[in-house]
Amino acid sequence: MSSSPSSRTTAFALHALGSSARAFDGVAEAVADVLDVHAIDLPGFGDAAGMTGTSIPESVRHVERAIRRSGATRWILIGHSMGGKIASVVAARALAGESELFGLAGVVLLAASPPSPEPMEEERRRDMLSWAADGRLDADAARTFVDANVGARLHPDADALALDDVQRTSAAAWTAWLEDGSREDLTDAVGTLDLPALILAGGEDGDLGEDAQRRLNGSVYPRASVEALGGTGHLLPLERPLDVAHAVRDFWESTAGIGPAVPADVAAVIASPRTSARTRGLLARRAVADDPHATPAALTDVQLATLRVLADRIVPQDGAGIDIALRVDAQLAAGGGDGWRNADLPPDREAYATALDALAPLRTHSPREIDAVITRLAAGEYDEHDALSAAQFAAWFEDARVDLVRQWLAHPATMARIGFDGFANGGDDVFTGFAILGADEREDWEMLPVIAR
Amino acid sequence: MNLTDMRTFADDEIVDAVVVGTGAGGAPLLAALAARGLRVVALEAGDNTDPHDHTPDEIAAADDINWMDERLSGGETPTAFGPNNSGRGVGGSTLHWGAFAPRPSAHDLRLRSESGLGEDWPIDHDELVAYIERVERFAGVSGPSHYPWDPDRRYLFPPVARNASSDMMMRGCEALGIRATDAPAALVTRDHDHDHGGHRSACANCGTCHQGCRNGSKVSMDTTYLPQAVAHGAEIRAGSMVHGIERDASGAVTAVVYRRDGVDHRQRCTNLFLCAGGIETPRLLLHTGVGNSSGQVGRNFMAHGGVQVWGRFEQEMRGYRGYPSSIITEDFVRPADADFAGGYLIQSLGVMPLTLATTLVRGAGLWGRELVDAMDDYRFMAGVGINGECLPSDGNLLELSDEVDDDGIPKARISFSAGGNEDAIDRHAIRTLTSIVEAAGATSTMVLPRTAHTLGTARMGTDRERAVIDPDGRSFDVPNLWICDNSVFPSSLVANPALTTMALSLRTADRFLASHKP
Repeated sequence: MSSSPSSRTTAFALHALGSSARAFDGVAEAVADVLDVHAIDLPGFGDAAGMTGTSIPESVRHVERAIRRSGATRWILIGHSMGGKIASVVAARALAGESELFGLAGVVLLAASPPSPEPMEEERRRDMLSWAADGRLDADAARTFVDANVGARLHPDADALALDDVQRTSAAAWTAWLEDGSREDLTDAVGTLDLPALILAGGEDGDLGEDAQRRLNGSVYPRASVEALGGTGHLLPLERPLDVAHAVRDFWESTAGIGPAVPADVAAVIASPRTSARTRGLLARRAVADDPHATPAALTDVQLATLRVLADRIVPQDGAGIDIALRVDAQLAAGGGDGWRNADLPPDREAYATALDALAPLRTHSPREIDAVITRLAAGEYDEHDALSAAQFAAWFEDARVDLVRQWLAHPATMARIGFDGFANGGDDVFTGFAILGADEREDWEMLPVIAR
Repeated sequence: MNLTDMRTFADDEIVDAVVVGTGAGGAPLLAALAARGLRVVALEAGDNTDPHDHTPDEIAAADDINWMDERLSGGETPTAFGPNNSGRGVGGSTLHWGAFAPRPSAHDLRLRSESGLGEDWPIDHDELVAYIERVERFAGVSGPSHYPWDPDRRYLFPPVARNASSDMMMRGCEALGIRATDAPAALVTRDHDHDHGGHRSACANCGTCHQGCRNGSKVSMDTTYLPQAVAHGAEIRAGSMVHGIERDASGAVTAVVYRRDGVDHRQRCTNLFLCAGGIETPRLLLHTGVGNSSGQVGRNFMAHGGVQVWGRFEQEMRGYRGYPSSIITEDFVRPADADFAGGYLIQSLGVMPLTLATTLVRGAGLWGRELVDAMDDYRFMAGVGINGECLPSDGNLLELSDEVDDDGIPKARISFSAGGNEDAIDRHAIRTLTSIVEAAGATSTMVLPRTAHTLGTARMGTDRERAVIDPDGRSFDVPNLWICDNSVFPSSLVANPALTTMALSLRTADRFLASHKP
């Protein structure tokens, strides 16, 4: 491989209103063994307090620039409160291929503001706006703000940092969020984000507590698990850095980080203008890890388990695998076939169900025994069940093999593995095609792994 | 394509013609009729697309531009539909076709006279070629300056760039003394402006013709004939699935019934042109019971032989780069040592990965480590394949199944079994293909059987007992019903069908206009 697929993953962390990148220092230190946390000062906050352009779209572009500049090709987003709303927009654009970024693997929301208007009492909004009426917030306002957002007194260092960050915030950014950003309805723009997600709530938080998270963010992230940290207010990274770090680490290791990584240089080609936005989006959505706890949509649990056993033999994958059986289940549920079926077979879903029910005992067989059955299935010699004739088994098994191998190849990591970069044959602005077509010739941009000949 | 400013007609307005289908059979005649001032409406089951929105992604592209509604495929050698051969959308199958554009030979049209098998075409070869030349000039076909099997032939555009598969096939053929040259490709190799179709860019060698051409270089109806049709006042209604044909007491067509966004509409018309392809045209005729006094609708289904031989090479071939089939040989149109009727063309092959894997499973029966290893060799593979004659046969036919689709139309059930002639062509071709690939330096070879195209289910002929339409393209039974698409082919031809279908479309328009009394 021309680059290591195990290159490290970056967590881009987006802070809350009145906060800054350094609010994630404690979390960063505690997850440093598995993730590089790259916290970003949003425009008008922290070291970027002097920046103008503090609207949500401008903040989103700011974050996207930072991710692009970092060169990260496998990354997650962590969004706290206000930063959560921005993270959801960044995630939506990345999954749609719109942002010349590739490699988003998951989203962690901490007491996050949802894509919909944030629930906030008007009186509180007015009070908070009044603090910035004459410029930056003073120490008293900072004290009031921090105290209103914690479950218990912060550690003195964290408290000092929080107070300082509130007072560093530009009045324009503070006002822009309260007047506009928090009120914007981006529900349609963000849509549903079907990727690994973790939603943490503060057990003592107010308007953005656990119920609101389930209702407002849970509907955006159908795969999210929602957890509440007891005795915690709104400032999760400052109040509970170790618990947040523990949850993030577990999320990465058990959910977002499973499945094959796309090599960094191939990911960079997908992110580049050589690849069209639509194609980039398709590859981005396929690159996210499969849900290990997914409920099958077309098959039963046992049928899916049987298909997984067969899939392991039909398309043996080395190392971190793609759950191609689950992807075929999703394809069956969507009704997306290949435009035809063998006339001797019942409709696809029925054929799969019948065949997999008959083959269910394979789940406890050894690989050698399974291969023996597969050989007979493929040869049209499997006549041990009344459910289907040997010819029907063979016809179904041909379809199943095609479905499984296509799901494997459709994953960008597999495309990289076999040295296929035809997805990058032309972008939206300049339709490049290929300039060099001969044997053993490649263009400068082509990043192909070396394979022994 | 841009349909925003087109002329529109009301459903209850009696238009001069409704054209069902906007592919190679329907689009040229739609343009020709509109240019003569006729009020014409095309009904297209699929969606309208913009070339810019096509994607090289094989799964998404199939959903965009292939006919993915389920068909049932039976017989001893069931043929694959969907991405393999069936299009959908404004432009029909020309959205996904490979643009390989050989002309049919004079032998092809006289198959029965010369071999005693198959059928003759009731069309003179010179007449057909004149129409083909009109298509080539208007739509833009690229090819070599010297065509060895037809030295007088000229192409408007220089040949498309060769890729590693092309070089391989040229090398193999040269070593064996087989004549081979740049293939006629229906694409423009220089920027080209149409009067009404806007700008078409030179082929960028992107390699994804089958997923939809993104810069308009490939001849696709939505960038050639359909813009011309719209400019002359034709209306194109996308997303409109025809499922009924209404007739008066005399049996003449008075209207078609189609479903759009779940609602049935009735478009009145004085003439009907069915151009829905080799599956949907006979399916609609059988479903409506129209035009089948001969009992021939759905019969004589033919699928070209399409066997491929792939070699593994020491070099990285990566044949997904560049136009996929840029080399041709016509040396086997009528091989001297043939033990069969007809013959075959050979083309060089580039292939996309999911398509190759599908053929590895369906054609070669691979699974497990063998399948994964074959795909790991993907970039070292290059191949050659054929388009081979298929004889009409009684047992090969399309019928309506008992299953009904979402629009209430019974699904088509196609039975296809390769016969002795097809098997003999395959055997001959596999020998030839293997020798080419080996002579080019392959270290190992693999044979992948397949079939392609949907032909012959509403065939043209002179005998109303044995054919569905007359030599003009008009139904023997229904005087104001015309058919023009692959279904009218009396024999399969050795040449790939689309160029001939476009030519037939122009000819059908002329025949109709000659008999049309405004």
